[in-house]
Amino acid sequence: MARFAVIFCLLFSGLVSRCQSETLTVICNQNGVPTEMKLSELKSVLKGERQRWNSGTKVKIALMKTSTSIGKNTAQVIYNMSGDALLKFWLGQTYQGNAHAPKFFNTTSELESFVAENPGAIGIIDQAVANNDIKIIAIDGKTQFSL
Amino acid sequence: MVFTLKSKIWLTVFAIVVMFTFFTLFYFPAQQRQLLLKNYNTEVQNLANTVALGVKIALTEENFEGVETAMQFVKDDPRLQFVSTVQFDTVWTADHHHYRIKKTFFKTFPENQQPSAGIQSNNSVIVKRGVFKTPVMNGAILLGFTTKEINESQKKIRFTSLIVSGIVLLIGILLGLLLARKVSVPVLALRDAANRVGDGDLNQKVKIDSTDEIGQLGKAFNNMVEDLSKARAALDENNQTLSDTNLKLNTTLVELKATQVQLIQSEKMASLGELTAGIAHEIQNPLNFVNNFSEINTELIDEMKTEIASGNLNEGLEIADNIKENQSKITHHGKRADAIVKGMLHHSRSSSGQKEMTDINALADEYLRLSYHGLRAKDKGFNAEFKTDFDEFLSTPEGKINIISQDVGRVLLNIYNNAFYSVSEKKAKLVADGQPSNYEPTVLVSTKKTKNHIIIKIKDNGVGISKKVIEKMYQPFFTTKPTGQGTGLGLSLSYDIVTAHGGEIKIDTKEGEYAEFIIELPC
Repeated sequence: MARFAVIFCLLFSGLVSRCQSETLTVICNQNGVPTEMKLSELKSVLKGERQRWNSGTKVKIALMKTSTSIGKNTAQVIYNMSGDALLKFWLGQTYQGNAHAPKFFNTTSELESFVAENPGAIGIIDQAVANNDIKIIAIDGKTQFSL
Repeated sequence: MVFTLKSKIWLTVFAIVVMFTFFTLFYFPAQQRQLLLKNYNTEVQNLANTVALGVKIALTEENFEGVETAMQFVKDDPRLQFVSTVQFDTVWTADHHHYRIKKTFFKTFPENQQPSAGIQSNNSVIVKRGVFKTPVMNGAILLGFTTKEINESQKKIRFTSLIVSGIVLLIGILLGLLLARKVSVPVLALRDAANRVGDGDLNQKVKIDSTDEIGQLGKAFNNMVEDLSKARAALDENNQTLSDTNLKLNTTLVELKATQVQLIQSEKMASLGELTAGIAHEIQNPLNFVNNFSEINTELIDEMKTEIASGNLNEGLEIADNIKENQSKITHHGKRADAIVKGMLHHSRSSSGQKEMTDINALADEYLRLSYHGLRAKDKGFNAEFKTDFDEFLSTPEGKINIISQDVGRVLLNIYNNAFYSVSEKKAKLVADGQPSNYEPTVLVSTKKTKNHIIIKIKDNGVGISKKVIEKMYQPFFTTKPTGQGTGLGLSLSYDIVTAHGGEIKIDTKEGEYAEFIIELPC
């Protein structure tokens, strides 16, 4: 009985965790980046297909490393890829010179700092953060989205 | 094949230029290409390694800055032909029994380039690999850089080398001309001048303005020719002097020869003079016989007339027989006198030079008597005994020898005269010294036939001959006699005559006791 209780707890906790990771928030620098966009536009930007914002500011992508849960979520939600595939995708992009590869971070705070410091920067984290340097971009009208 | 100096200079310059051209056109560019390729290979390998490292960092650290920077660096390089990422996957073989490494091109820049996985470096492209291993992917960066730039560099080097070679060739030609002018021309001038000097023209001068070794050589040559000229002038002068001297010597020699002939004749006449008395004595004897028998015959003829007139025919006939007998004696002694006169004439005439079969005993005896009587005629107080010991065989027809009797007679006469003079001197000396006069001057003449020679020995017991005199006695004009009594040519001529006959004269003597001349004549 106890054994079943443990297995249940583990499965439940994993389910909760999975539900939590699926929620993503898109943040950006206060300057040069629109406050809302469609999901397709977001994917286009994050895949490097769009190099500059309408304001002319250069797009700078900030992502959590694929070894983090946020990174994995991001790979799945935005790129529809595994973490390794994402890295190979960007390696290919880098090879061809189609786009600048994103900056990958270990912690959200590092990512937030990057976004705050670089105009045109856009990043994906797991919770909404907004201050004088960072704003949240509404995707399809939502500040948070998931699979 | 003989190369001239000019040819050698040109060949040397040509060889240097060819070697330099080979070096600049082939060796130097090849070395440069190898160096460039080596550096190029290293550079491309470093770039491949950099890109591979960037990929590794990108896929492990998720940091693409390095690979971006490296890729940007590579892409900006105009020499880039392609840069590819090859992915290595371990897959089953078709039979699922083994694994194999599958290599697939992940990405290539530029996209239109599609190199094969096994591409290697060749003349147009340098290919280098940078291997990486990551948890995401294993593979290699394949970097291809064109060698066009190196080939162009090599072409530039060759072109530059060609230009340099041309310049060197031009310099070589100019250098050859300069060397030919500076070396060959003066040397050829020296050669021509030397040839002319060799032909006897010692007025040659070479004009070389340079102060180097060639100039020094020219100066030395000029000095040498000047010295030669001086030496030649001195030599000519000496030659002239020698020629004059030679002419004088020749004249003197002719005069000497004439004098010698005169002297010989004088010596002959002198000996003849010495003989005159002896000859006169020799002639006197037969003349006495002739006169006496003539007188007797005159008386006998008167007696014969008387007897015939008296009718005593028998007695007249006996007297006639006596007359006839006396007449034969007159004839005999007349012939003897005739022979003496003929001999004297024979002696006084120049030698005929003809050899004749001669009775050497008769010749030796005849001249011995002539010599003795000649000395006796000159000096009434002179007296000496002479003895002969002749080999009788030599008086036979078979024993005659082939000689120039007149010359050999002169030899004998000279030696006899000397022998008699020697014994005469010794006797006079003994008398002067007041010693008891038991000394008997004697001259002994002997002949002997050996197997191949006739030996004539003339021995006297006179004063002998000193060693000092022996050394000089055959020299012309050497004499021990007082001035006016000897010409000094007697023994000299005797020596010449005997040696001319193939014989020799030897002397055996003891000073104060005896002297013996030994004449050996071949037969």
